[in-house]
Amino acid sequence: MLKRYPTVRYIVTRGGWYFLTFLVAVTLNFFLPRMGKSNPIDIIMAKVGGGLDTKAAQAKEEAYLKEFGLVELDAQKNIRRSADGKPVRTPVWKQFRNYVGMCLRGDLGTSFLNYPKKVVDIIKQAIPWTIALQLPTIIFGWIIGNVLGALAAYRRGIFDGVFFPLALLANAMPFFAFGMLLMYLFAIIWPIFPAVGGYAGNLVPTLSWTFLSSMAYHYILPFFSIFLILAGGQAIGMRSMCIYELGTDYVKYAKWLGVRENKILMYMFRNAMLPQLTGLALSIGQMIGGALITEMIFSYPGLGMALLTAIQGNDYPVIQGCTLLVTVSVLCANFIVDILIGFLDPRVKAGIAGGGK
Amino acid sequence: MPIFEVDNLHLHYLTRFGAKIPAVAGVTFSMEKGEVLGIAGESGCGKSTLVNGCMGLFIPPLWPTSGNVRVDGESIMGRSPKDVRKNILGRKVAMIPQGAFNSLNPTRKIKDQAADMIVSHESNVDKKALYERLRQRFDLIGMETEKVLGAYPIQLTAGTRQRCVIGISTLLDPKMVIADEPTSALDVTTQKAVIRMIFDLLDKQIFSTMIFITHELPLLRHVANRIAVMYAGEFVELGTTDQVIFDPRHPYTKALMGAMLSAEPGQRQRKPVAIEGAPPNLAYPISGCRFAERCPQVRPECRVNKQEIRIVADRQVRCDYAE
Amino acid sequence: MPSETTIFSAKNLTCVFGHGKKSTKAIDDLTFSIADQEIVSLVGGSGCGKSVLAKIMLNLIKPTSGEFLYKGKPIIDQRFHWREVQPVFQDPFSCFNFFFTIRDQLKASFGIMKTKPSKKEMEERVDQALLAVNIVPSEIQGKYAFELSGGQMQRMLLARIFILRPAVLIADEPTSMVDACVRASILDYLMKLKKELSMTIVFITHDIGLAYYVSDRIFIMHRGKIVEQGTPDDVALKPKNEHTMKLLDDIPDIHKNWISR
Repeated sequence: MLKRYPTVRYIVTRGGWYFLTFLVAVTLNFFLPRMGKSNPIDIIMAKVGGGLDTKAAQAKEEAYLKEFGLVELDAQKNIRRSADGKPVRTPVWKQFRNYVGMCLRGDLGTSFLNYPKKVVDIIKQAIPWTIALQLPTIIFGWIIGNVLGALAAYRRGIFDGVFFPLALLANAMPFFAFGMLLMYLFAIIWPIFPAVGGYAGNLVPTLSWTFLSSMAYHYILPFFSIFLILAGGQAIGMRSMCIYELGTDYVKYAKWLGVRENKILMYMFRNAMLPQLTGLALSIGQMIGGALITEMIFSYPGLGMALLTAIQGNDYPVIQGCTLLVTVSVLCANFIVDILIGFLDPRVKAGIAGGGK
Repeated sequence: MPIFEVDNLHLHYLTRFGAKIPAVAGVTFSMEKGEVLGIAGESGCGKSTLVNGCMGLFIPPLWPTSGNVRVDGESIMGRSPKDVRKNILGRKVAMIPQGAFNSLNPTRKIKDQAADMIVSHESNVDKKALYERLRQRFDLIGMETEKVLGAYPIQLTAGTRQRCVIGISTLLDPKMVIADEPTSALDVTTQKAVIRMIFDLLDKQIFSTMIFITHELPLLRHVANRIAVMYAGEFVELGTTDQVIFDPRHPYTKALMGAMLSAEPGQRQRKPVAIEGAPPNLAYPISGCRFAERCPQVRPECRVNKQEIRIVADRQVRCDYAE
Repeated sequence: MPSETTIFSAKNLTCVFGHGKKSTKAIDDLTFSIADQEIVSLVGGSGCGKSVLAKIMLNLIKPTSGEFLYKGKPIIDQRFHWREVQPVFQDPFSCFNFFFTIRDQLKASFGIMKTKPSKKEMEERVDQALLAVNIVPSEIQGKYAFELSGGQMQRMLLARIFILRPAVLIADEPTSMVDACVRASILDYLMKLKKELSMTIVFITHDIGLAYYVSDRIFIMHRGKIVEQGTPDDVALKPKNEHTMKLLDDIPDIHKNWISR
């Protein structure tokens, strides 16, 4: 079947590669925290076990060990013990198997810091904020950046002269620096916007008008600090792509034919867009990472903030959960862009049909 | 009345430092309906600049200096870019460009590119009727319509692409066609097929008058009625095909013919002679004959006296000493 | 007369692209040999396999099956092979980098040599090579590829050959991008390379007229096969194969009735 439908084959092989990447990411995600020196159980015990006597502390510790799947259990779900009464530690490969199994079931474990809160619940709380902030910024930033870049290339003149250096500046600025700059300018020097949070601190999240307007008010600074940098970077790439396209023979030929200006603009935009899409696939991870940092700067109650809190508190399950989620979303975004390129570019399409020369 | 007239046309490029480079300097010719004029010359002689001038299409840094171009008695100079685009390009004067590989948009089907051409010139076009019209036209000009119209350029061979370009350029039955080296990127067999198609279009009266530009003089022998030889922005010789090919009078035309080679008995002994040196840099003013530096029959006066067109043996020659 | 040592010899050489139904035989069961100091022309229309054969000779493509020997031995080491076999390609502008001067790039071609000459000798040899292709060295001093004309650039590619002095030159359509009036001079330089540096030249073209002028032997290719071969006089003046006749017929020669209208 795959042989007869090259498009299906293309998607399946691509999907296969992405799945392989996903497995590698999960493996890294599991082993990286375990390479560290600090033992999370010790950290929790240091925190909660302060006032307990030895016996109670040991019972508590064993409860944690059981909870986090670090010891072997027998059929009655009791801790298996060796001859000297110490709990039998689960070997790493078994832990890994359990971890993958849990991941596939959608169970990311329990938070250390907010024990016994589940990691999934923490992420569930944070993710709407992150999606609300990042999806529009990345999409609008990308589209508006490309349109502006194309216009700058086509119009040239003063528009380009003013726009291009600004875009360069935006592109050269790291996310965190720009976020801090905006915060400093518009929340401290000239305090017209709030500096931190996703909504005013004295409000409780409800669907009331006051809450929504407060949300929108807090949304502006983080939005622009991501949006401007993204748009600037895309605009620079698009501008040079379009300048290249404008010099090609087919644009000259279209002019000779007397084809309308807006049609020529469309030719140019579409053809310049294809390499830009590839660029998007390459940089999407960077964008999401940068946006997470922006969240941290503005203490925006999204995934970035959850991650920051978790890192500060050595909360491994939450860190792992967040990174896994980011990895998966980056992979998904990449996969979608990859498939899109295949459908939009007839050259790639011809390549697929021709057996992938 | 001539259908196409170029009257003492001067064109220049404006450099970013404000200097004017005269790329075409005083070209004059006129063409009757049904005529094919060949223009021969090496690269950089101003052929392609002349093409833009003949179409009234001035994209910076190219500017008209003086002179006039008339199609059907109507001047196409000094018009607004929009007017030129809508009423002249493709309708009065159409262009068949050089590169068969890159002249078509790689991400657009042939039929859509052809449709764009028509939609840009006519208002209220019905989409269905439009594609039907394209199909009929491509059938008429002998293309494999079904295969070609729905294809992307990359799926076609170079020869087919070039024939598509010719088909698209002539969709609006232009009064005048300018073909700028339409076959120079093709091999000899494909070249013949493309020339055959051009002849077919001429026979079918899709267009009747053509300027054919190439650096291959032998090709012009079979294509053109008259031949103009261009050097450094000027016509140096203009006469009938037989006059220019078999009895050239200007030293440059002679040199071009001497550089030609072909597979014929005895040709291996007749050594083709390359023209040494390079055309003059037009950024600096030239006082005398523009070909003087490379001319085998150069005289001291040539470097001083500007050469003007004179009639030698029934054709125009820009050389005081040609006979 | 060509001496008896063979440069290239091929036996049942086949080169296939693609898989299964979509596969095409670019080179189809060729057996031939090219002698030392011979100029052999490969002539054919586009898609006849002449460029693929050139790439096999340069060891840029590996043949699918069959035997291909250089001086009686199979080609093993790429670098070693390129010291002896050098190409001239169709489009000189795509052969040079736009960010370095032409002279620097010509000097860089010494990099393929086993023992590099001294700096002074390098400069001298570049100057000599430039003079050999009729270019005054000062003319291109400090210039970049985009500042030169197509004819000049094609001569730069030939200057590279004069510098490296390989045993074999593979010229893949060196004249198809240049004007008719420069064409003759390129052919002159090919003859000069053979005469002065006793080089073996494989000249690839679609124009049998050019092949007729330069070569000792002509191979006419069609769909991956050599359909006719022989001396220029035999092939071009007394063609026996229909493809050869077609190729000859398609040249717009001024003395014949090429096309009727």
